[in-house]
Amino acid sequence: MLPWLIVLALAVWLAIRIGVGYPPLTHGYRVLRRNEVALLASVSEAMFPPGGHIPSSGLDAKLPDYIDRWMSLSSKQTRVLMHLLYFLIEHATVIFPAPGRAGRRRFSALDFDQRVAALQGWGESGLYLRRLVFVSLRSILTMGYFAHPPVLRQLGVAPFAIESPICEADLLYPRIGARSADIAYTTDDLTTAREASPLLPGSPLHPDFAEEQS
Amino acid sequence: MSSNSGCVRVYADYDRDFSEDVDVVVVGSGPAGAVTAKELTDAGLRVALIEEGPPFTPPDFEIDGAISMARTMREGGLRMTRGTVMPTMQGIALGGGSLVNSAICNKAPDFVLDDWCAKFGLEHTTLADLDPHYDAVGEFLGIAPTPESVQGRRNLLFKQGCDALGFSSEPVSRNVKGCRGSGECFTGCRTRAKQSMDVSYVPAAIRRGALVLTSARVESVLNDGSKATGVAGRVVAPFTGKASHSFRVNARAVVLAAGCMATPVLLEKSGKLANRSAQVGENLQFHPGVAIMGVFPEDVHPAFGATQGYQSKQFLRDGYKLETLWAPPSVLAVRLPGSGMAFKNRLADFARSAIWDAIATCNRSLGRVRTRSGSMNPSLLWRLHPEDVGILTKALWTLSEIFFAAGAKSVVSGVNGMPDEFFSLDEARMLTERPLRDRDLVIGGNHAFCTTRMHGDPARGVVDEYGRCHDIRNLYIVDTGIFPQCPSVNPMWTAMALAHRSAEHLCAEL
Repeated sequence: MLPWLIVLALAVWLAIRIGVGYPPLTHGYRVLRRNEVALLASVSEAMFPPGGHIPSSGLDAKLPDYIDRWMSLSSKQTRVLMHLLYFLIEHATVIFPAPGRAGRRRFSALDFDQRVAALQGWGESGLYLRRLVFVSLRSILTMGYFAHPPVLRQLGVAPFAIESPICEADLLYPRIGARSADIAYTTDDLTTAREASPLLPGSPLHPDFAEEQS
Repeated sequence: MSSNSGCVRVYADYDRDFSEDVDVVVVGSGPAGAVTAKELTDAGLRVALIEEGPPFTPPDFEIDGAISMARTMREGGLRMTRGTVMPTMQGIALGGGSLVNSAICNKAPDFVLDDWCAKFGLEHTTLADLDPHYDAVGEFLGIAPTPESVQGRRNLLFKQGCDALGFSSEPVSRNVKGCRGSGECFTGCRTRAKQSMDVSYVPAAIRRGALVLTSARVESVLNDGSKATGVAGRVVAPFTGKASHSFRVNARAVVLAAGCMATPVLLEKSGKLANRSAQVGENLQFHPGVAIMGVFPEDVHPAFGATQGYQSKQFLRDGYKLETLWAPPSVLAVRLPGSGMAFKNRLADFARSAIWDAIATCNRSLGRVRTRSGSMNPSLLWRLHPEDVGILTKALWTLSEIFFAAGAKSVVSGVNGMPDEFFSLDEARMLTERPLRDRDLVIGGNHAFCTTRMHGDPARGVVDEYGRCHDIRNLYIVDTGIFPQCPSVNPMWTAMALAHRSAEHLCAEL
């Protein structure tokens, strides 16, 4: 009887740990689940905290939204691996507790300082696989952080505005998703070859990355 | 000679199963496949060029690095080797990797080609043998050194550092016409300056009558046991890979240019074709790369300038080549150490930073390609040899020397177990003094070779030096899998030159 009670207690604890207490979603996500959104928001705040040399924080960059879009473009196998990665980070505190009080709570429930310390623990671990997990997670978050236009502007690496010329290939290929019959260009549209003028620092920025006009 | 104009079919054009009859079917539209298709159509042959990915036009390009990779790279750009864990990429787009590479064109050094001839029983693959083919490709694509007007400070600092140390350096020769220095090679050239295959060789092949089937995945090479007779496969949706209609292309000859990591899978899934030598999928080699960031006292404006505009071949015989590098910042930042505020503040150094890299000749570091059940994606096993770790470490040291000679105030190596930042060359000397393991380095698997290697002896190689399979008639392989060893420099031009020669040979045979 006792072993069954222990198993039952463990199952209840596991169910509560995995599924209970996450905040409701503020909008729909294509791939991410409620617990993953909470985790990614908490990791992004710890990885890219407010302040410092770049004003934008991970929360400003809305990293869960970006990661949701990126994962929706990924293969099923990749998505499975990503879900496992998030689960691992969220619950590995059982094995690698964060310093301080109640350090074995799930990652997203830790205090800010505990989350920062926990991430540092992953990144500086003597275990190669643990470092590898950290680099994977940080890479995903960094991709999203650098997709945030204010970050790129602040770093001076936002893409330039470029008007693409019309070349022979544009008469051959439609946009992805369209049919060949939908190609709108004819030979009359070909852009005359022109002297290429280098894009210099200070050249106009791509409209999606330029500062919003008030 | 054919005078009929060919055509392109895209995913939305397919509404039923279909079959085609041609003289030659070419699988893969990357540099080797595109050159082959164009040369064969020029000779008057009816050619079908098949590509699994879609054609991209500038509005289809995504500037964001990760989203772009998810759309233009196989496995979303997340392909990794096992053994030594290392990311490696393969394009899935009309034009193959040329759509998203840096357009670097180097001839294989004469000492490398001489070595290939001596070790692999090749008789006609010296630099003198290949030079006419290099020249033909170079003239068509307008391969030329990167002009100073689009170098940008990031590239010129490299030259400055090399000059100060007495190291040779040179502007990178590229297949580019009218570069504006946008630094966007990696996500697709919005200026249309890069002469990737989709805007150069493929249109030329179409002008001469080639049928180009995009979003078409070849799943088997048809054969009658002694000769190749065509290919069969399925139409697949862009990005999702969801399969729909079946197709078959019957041909008098089949040319595989699916890439070093895909061709062995295709052969294996075609009934272990062309593998009497047991070399298909073996001998996998890369040019593993390491990169290092130098932080300068003033702005470098790294976003401006040719993606990879300068290089040094000073240390080729020592096993590494040095080059400048730019890519979407999200991709470059993977190599930086730290987390939290320290990491974030390090990112803030980007505007004052340059990133340079080294690719290494690692002939001792071998691996293999295997099939995965239910997938055309490969399973890759590869291990970095301990002595090759030494080459990469030495390359990091040399790059540090160049950075400090160019005036950098610090360098960030990203090496595990080392300080996050070196503030002097003396501090960086630690790189050469502490023994490192493969897992201490952040390495990338540039270029891939040798999985269907050429060899004069049919028992030891898959193809001869013209790319013709030893085991089965009318089957050619022209991608970098046929290289017998890594070429020590960026392989695109050599792959195209070899393909140009193979096309000539195939024309003579048909």
